[in-house]
Amino acid sequence: MQSNQVSREPYPPGDFAIWIVIYVELITFGLLFVGYAFSRRADVLTFNNSQLIINKTSGFIDTLILITSSYFIVKAVHAIKSSNFSLQKANQIASKWLLAAIAFGGMFLVNKLLEFSDIFGQGITLSTNKFFMFYLLLTMFHFMHVTLGTVILFNIFKKTKKDGYSKEDHRGLETGAVYWHLVDLLWIVLFPLVYIIR
Amino acid sequence: MINKKVEIVWIILIFFTIFAYLLGKLELINTLLVGVLLVTTFIKGQLVIDYFMGLKNVSYKYRFIPTLWLTLILSLVAAAYY
Repeated sequence: MQSNQVSREPYPPGDFAIWIVIYVELITFGLLFVGYAFSRRADVLTFNNSQLIINKTSGFIDTLILITSSYFIVKAVHAIKSSNFSLQKANQIASKWLLAAIAFGGMFLVNKLLEFSDIFGQGITLSTNKFFMFYLLLTMFHFMHVTLGTVILFNIFKKTKKDGYSKEDHRGLETGAVYWHLVDLLWIVLFPLVYIIR
Repeated sequence: MINKKVEIVWIILIFFTIFAYLLGKLELINTLLVGVLLVTTFIKGQLVIDYFMGLKNVSYKYRFIPTLWLTLILSLVAAAYY
């Protein structure tokens, strides 16, 4: 009867503390997402007209960047955790994937700064209307998370350069990885909600 | 095997992202397609939770929380839209 059951890990990857942070972040962003959706319902015309001003292509590129960088992180974790390479080789492979993910994180930040510069250049601020209040609040708050995530990834990268992770000891790597995936998950909801749905 | 799954997940995520972008860019979005878009967003989120965050084979209580969050948020977005 139990033959088809998958043996489940008792705990999620990474430090338990990061999961508390993740749950808090999910609640915080969740409230903002729902706040946006119901504020839009109350004033559809303003939201639809304002949405025409923001750059959908920029949001699309950001999504591709984050999804791909998340994929790179999975590959980095896999190189340490599941491959049969030597400690040195595994860390070397992981460092390359991490560097690619950091580069993509940097590309996201540059792309977002260009988008903000364009928006502010048009004289738009948090107080322009409710759409832009939510748009700037959500994207800037998320931008801060990507910045922090990139710094975390850089520190993990430095540790791989010292062959600091092994099959037995890679909790720090997994902790940084799940934080980065959270940043990706939040953007996956933010992109259609703010840039596409009208 | 795990690696292949991750590659497939990445392709699905990219595919749904292109789909969402085209809906917006070509202004094809309508009441029905918003529903489709929210479903694809749920699938994308769940794939990230399961295969990127690595919760697929972790105790249900840990997998349940982000899945519940995703379901709740997208349901409320749908409720606000419709």
